[in-house]
Amino acid sequence: MSRIIVVTSGKGGVGKTTVTSNLGAALAKVNRKVALLDADFGLRNLDLLLGLEERVVYTALDVLAGDCRLAQALVKDKRLNGLVLLPAAQNRNKEAVSPDDMKKIATALAKGYDYIIVDCPAGIELGFRNAISAAKEALIVTTPEIAAVRDADRVIGLLEAEGIHKISLIVNRVKPKMVEDNKMMSVDDVLELLAVPLIGVIPDDERVIVATNKGEPLVIGDHDCLPANSFMNIAKRLEGEKVPFIDLMSENDNILSRLRRIFGG
Amino acid sequence: MCLRNNLITLVYGMVADPQLSLDLPSDTPFSPLVETYSQIRLKREDNRLFLVLPIQRELEQELSWTQLWQELKHYLQGREKSWATGDSVSLIAQDQLLDVQQLQTIAEILEEVDLVLETVVTTRRQTAVAAATGGYCVEQNKLSQLSLTPDVRTQEATLAEPLYFNQTVRSGVELRHEGTIIIFGDINPGGMAISAGDIFVWGRLRGMAHAGAKGNRQSRIVTLQMDFTQLRIADSVARYPKFLPKSAEPEIAFISEEGISLAKAMDFAKTHEFSELKAVWLDRQ
Repeated sequence: MSRIIVVTSGKGGVGKTTVTSNLGAALAKVNRKVALLDADFGLRNLDLLLGLEERVVYTALDVLAGDCRLAQALVKDKRLNGLVLLPAAQNRNKEAVSPDDMKKIATALAKGYDYIIVDCPAGIELGFRNAISAAKEALIVTTPEIAAVRDADRVIGLLEAEGIHKISLIVNRVKPKMVEDNKMMSVDDVLELLAVPLIGVIPDDERVIVATNKGEPLVIGDHDCLPANSFMNIAKRLEGEKVPFIDLMSENDNILSRLRRIFGG
Repeated sequence: MCLRNNLITLVYGMVADPQLSLDLPSDTPFSPLVETYSQIRLKREDNRLFLVLPIQRELEQELSWTQLWQELKHYLQGREKSWATGDSVSLIAQDQLLDVQQLQTIAEILEEVDLVLETVVTTRRQTAVAAATGGYCVEQNKLSQLSLTPDVRTQEATLAEPLYFNQTVRSGVELRHEGTIIIFGDINPGGMAISAGDIFVWGRLRGMAHAGAKGNRQSRIVTLQMDFTQLRIADSVARYPKFLPKSAEPEIAFISEEGISLAKAMDFAKTHEFSELKAVWLDRQ
């Protein structure tokens, strides 16, 4: 039984596409067949982050128009066996496809792949409705900022109204030092408000940006680092494994901060 | 004394001016905060279940179809199930224009909560035709004959039966009800509950709550933890004071002589009484 998962956030720029690309690669690394579906028509980025831009020939729109077969449009990732991308069209906008079209594509992909991961555009308009139309589960990406959390809350409400109840949360770009100093919302604060199960915490890290610019998901390239491990852990948790969360706080753990924690500083 | 009167700022005359003028209105005899709103509601009358849609011509803006079905879904899924599986429903479509497919969608939404759409009551000919095509019983009424569209003005005094809402009101959700609202969950920031009666939040109130939205100053808001962005009771507005620490105890908000005040919810019934004369809650001591 394949799983169709949408990665969404409401707010833009919180790391949906980064999460999609890394999660796709991480799942492929544990020998799953993964199809990534870019639903951000008109503003496609997923191919860039995967470094597959120059190999895109057909897009999802060509498949829908009958100009090519689905298998022809899929771009295979040469570095990882089992990872493919169905690119969005860049020259059109969101109105070019309907929720039914997306459903058709996702259902067709589900026949050959274990995971279909849909990269949702920002916002809650047609693009969002397209992206979630086929999904059975959702991963909400948020950063520990009130605007991102507020939008995530809105999106969770919309997903629940659409009957998608299997929702997990990824908190991206956490800065343990700032949380320690009480300058940033902690993961617990976010969880307390959104009240959906946590599936991953990703620390803020320059290497993520470097990897993005190189067009190589972190879990493929510079994979022996904290953020890459975080992505691998999310993949394992999706697979049903119980993986304990990495204690980000331990990195700047010293006697002073411990004392501060004890005395409620 | 645990009363925290006086601590909440009261803002008068916050008026949405339809002319979009920047001048402040000098006197506001009627605050638009106290609105007579139309909304979707499910009610039982003589053992028949009715799903009532808002009347299009009474709405300020046109209610789009997407909005309508989204609200319908939220409303039905959050509602405490007070019906048996397979109960049939009459849709009071009022003057809403609905086509066959839209009626089909409404039937599907009802099906998700184990209800069956049976009859469509409408004042529009086209909707009646669509309903007949879709295979539903049709009752086409002239405007004046609709038993379930009571004149709002004559109905003002009576409240609808309480609405029991069984999930958290998330950002962007606006829960409206013409009676008391009971929420088993939080009201998150950006979420809203608007009630003609009282509001009970069995959780944290972090968003906005408007009790007595039709002008009843006796209405109260009770929650396990007050942490709201804004409170409204009748035509008064209050925001959370910046430096007031959160109370660990359940609190109640009501209109006192100083405006909207907070008190410990536990003792309120014993310590306060409503003065009809002044239209405020007074401390008995």
